[in-house]
Amino acid sequence: MSRLVVRGARVVDPSQGIDEVADLVLQDGLVESVGSAVGGAGSADEVLDAKGLVAVPGFIDIHVHLREPGFEYKETIASGSHAAVAGGFTAVAAMANTDPPNDSAAVTEFILRKAAQANRARIYPIGALTRGMKGAELSEMGEMVEAGAVAMSDDGLPVEDINVMRRAMEYATIFDIPVIEHCETPQLHPGGVMNEGYWSTALGLRGIPRASEEISVDRNIVLAELTGARFHVAHLSTSGALRRVQEAKTRGLPVSCEVTPHHLILTDESVSSYNTSAKMKPPLVTESDRAALLQGLADGTVDAIATDHAPHHADEKAEDFDHAPFGIVGLETAVSLCLDRLVRPGVISLSRLVELMSTGPARVLGLPGGTLKVGAPADVTLLDLEKHVRVDPETFVSRGRNTPFAGWELTGSAAATLVNGRIVWSSAL
Amino acid sequence: MKLASKDLLDIESLSPGEIELILDTATSFKDVSERTIKKVPTLRGRTVINLFFEPSTRTRVSFELAGKRLSADTINVSASGSSVSKGETLLDTVRNLQAMSPDVIVMRHGSSGAPHAVAKRVDAAVVNAGDGMHEHPTQGLLDAYTIREAKKRLSGLKVVIVGDLLHSRVFRSNLRLLTKMGAHVIITGPPTLIPPHVAKLGAEVAPTMDDAIANADVVMMLRVQKERMEGAFFPSVREYFRLYALTVARVERAKPDAIIMHPGPLNRGLEIDSSVADGPYSLILDQVTNGVAVRMAVLYLLTGGHGGLGQDKPPEGARA
Repeated sequence: MSRLVVRGARVVDPSQGIDEVADLVLQDGLVESVGSAVGGAGSADEVLDAKGLVAVPGFIDIHVHLREPGFEYKETIASGSHAAVAGGFTAVAAMANTDPPNDSAAVTEFILRKAAQANRARIYPIGALTRGMKGAELSEMGEMVEAGAVAMSDDGLPVEDINVMRRAMEYATIFDIPVIEHCETPQLHPGGVMNEGYWSTALGLRGIPRASEEISVDRNIVLAELTGARFHVAHLSTSGALRRVQEAKTRGLPVSCEVTPHHLILTDESVSSYNTSAKMKPPLVTESDRAALLQGLADGTVDAIATDHAPHHADEKAEDFDHAPFGIVGLETAVSLCLDRLVRPGVISLSRLVELMSTGPARVLGLPGGTLKVGAPADVTLLDLEKHVRVDPETFVSRGRNTPFAGWELTGSAAATLVNGRIVWSSAL
Repeated sequence: MKLASKDLLDIESLSPGEIELILDTATSFKDVSERTIKKVPTLRGRTVINLFFEPSTRTRVSFELAGKRLSADTINVSASGSSVSKGETLLDTVRNLQAMSPDVIVMRHGSSGAPHAVAKRVDAAVVNAGDGMHEHPTQGLLDAYTIREAKKRLSGLKVVIVGDLLHSRVFRSNLRLLTKMGAHVIITGPPTLIPPHVAKLGAEVAPTMDDAIANADVVMMLRVQKERMEGAFFPSVREYFRLYALTVARVERAKPDAIIMHPGPLNRGLEIDSSVADGPYSLILDQVTNGVAVRMAVLYLLTGGHGGLGQDKPPEGARA
C-alpha cells in the first residue's frame, strides 16, 4: 500500500498530549510516525501539504441514523457515509432502527457490506437491544457481535419494561459491550412534541417534561449498578440527567454519556415559529440546561459529542408540528458548529473538542482510533480553523435537509478526511 | 387603516390598535345582522373557503353566515369526505384549494400551528378558526367585543377564566387579548389543567374558585374538553362540579353587575350550573350573535377593507 505524508499541519492529539506543527506519516493504513522532518519524503510518497491546517485523530460520531435498510428515501448507507466524511467524520456508529431493524447478524452483515461498497467512512453497526425493537425479548446479541456490532440499543424508542432492561444489561455483560439507551419515559407525556415549559404553553403544543429523561437515566443507572453493565446515555439533554451521570461516575460506575451539538447551542425558543426543523427527541430544553451541558463538556462529565444525525424527507418535515417526525441532520454541520460555538468563544479548548469528538467516542464504544499514536489506524481529520462557511442545506451530501442551522455563518470547518491512510474527502475536491 | 398581516393567525401578533380596529369595524357590521335584509354587497365576487379539519357547528356556521352576509361565495370543506381522508397531506390539500384562487381560507385544525404552516405557502388570507391548543383568535375578539359592549371598556377589568386552561385555545387567545388591552386576568382550575409557566403570559393563578371569583367583573367559564384528555386530570364530574363549577352561590361573590361568559358548547352540570348559564347575567348567546359581526369585520379587513355596507356609508371602524 501507499505511503502518505501529511506535511506541516498543527497536530493536536490529546491522547498523547501533542499540540505542535509536525509531519504525519501514514503507511499501509496505519500511523507510522508523528514528528518533524522525518528525513524527507521518498520519491514514491504522496505528500499532502497541510500547512495552516490542524490534523487531529479522525472524528467519530457514535450516534447516526443511516436509514438503510428500509428508509432509503431519507438516507442510504452510501449517502450517509459520504455525508460523514464531508463533515469531517472518519467513522460513524449506525443505530438499529431501520426496517427491518438491525436485530440479526444478517442485517449487521448487510450494513457492513454496503459500508464497504461505499468505501468512505468506517461504519460500526449498533445492534437492537430487543428483538424487532419491541422491548419484549432479547435480541441475539452474540451473533450480531460476531458479525461486527459494537453496542446494543433500541435508540429511537426507550425500553419501557424495566425487567427486560435489567436482563438485557445482564446479558450484554457477556460481550462487554455498552448498552445505549434513549432515555425517555413516554407514559409521562402522551403526545408530547417539545419541552414542557413556557414555550409549550405559549404555542399550545403538548410538552415533554425534563423529568422524562431524568427518570429514565436514574432508572438505568440503578440497573447498571445492579447488573454491572456498561451503560451509555444517548443524547443527554437536561441538567438533572447530567447531575445523575456525574454522580454515578463519582461512584465509579461504568456510565458514560454523549450530548449533541444542537442541545449545546439551541433552546426550546427555537420552536417558537412552529419550526419543525427544531423538533427532535429529546426536545431542545432551556438555557439553564444548555449552560449545564457546556459545563459538563468542560469538566469532563460528558464523554462524547454525537450528532444523532436523523435525516427525514422534506415532505415529512413540511407537515404541521404535531405530525412532522422528530430529528435533524447533523453530520455536515457538527464540526463547524463546535468550532464556532464551543472552541472560538473558549468554552472548551481545541484539544478538549478532539477528546469529545474522537478519543472519547472511541473509548465509549471500544473502537480503534481516537489517537494518532504510532500503529493506530490512519484515520485523520484535517481542520481549517479560519474558514468561513454558510450552512446551506441545498449543498448537503446527505439526503436529509432538515436542519435548524440553515443560513448560519460559522468560522471553522473540516478541510479533508482521511480514512485508512487514504483521502476520502477534501474541500478542495 | 388596515391589518399589518395578510392573515389572522393569532392574537399574539395583533397590536392593540389592530384589535380596536377589528372591534370598531364589527360594531358597524352588527347592524347588518339586525336588518330584515341581512346582506351587503361588500365581498361580492370574493371566495371564502371554510376548511374544517375538526368538527364544529358554531364557528363554522358563524363564519359561513359572516361570508354570506357580506355577499362572498362561501364553500365549506370538512376533513371527512375530502381528499384528506385519502391520505393527502395538509399542504397538498391547501395547495389544491389555492389553485382555485380563493380570497380567504378559514381554517380549523387539531394541530397547533397548522394554519401558520399553511399561511406561509398560500396567497390567500388565512384565518385561524382554532388550531389545536394554541389560539382561536376570532373567539378572543368576539369575547372582547361582548365584554366591551357590556362594560364599555376592557382596561382595568378583572376577568376570571376558569377550568380546562391546559387544552384551551380560547383561553390562550383571551389571555393575550385581554392583557394587551389592559385587563387583569385571573385564572383557576385543577392544577392538572393549568399549563406550566402560564404566569409568564400574564395570568395570575388563584388557588381556589372562591378566591378567583371575588369581585370579578367578568367570569369566563371554559368547556372541559373531554376529547383532548388522555388520562386522568380530575377524579370525577361530581368533584369537578364541587370545586370549579359556576354556581349561583359563587356568582354572588363576583361584583353585582358581573357578566358570565362561556365559549360553548356548554357541559351543563359539569362546569356551569344551568341556572347560571340561563340566568340574567349570562351573555353566552350574545357572544354567539357578536361572533358573526366580528367575523364579518375580519373578512372585510383581510380582503382589503373596500366597499360599503350597502347604504353608501363606510364602516365606522374604517376611519383613520
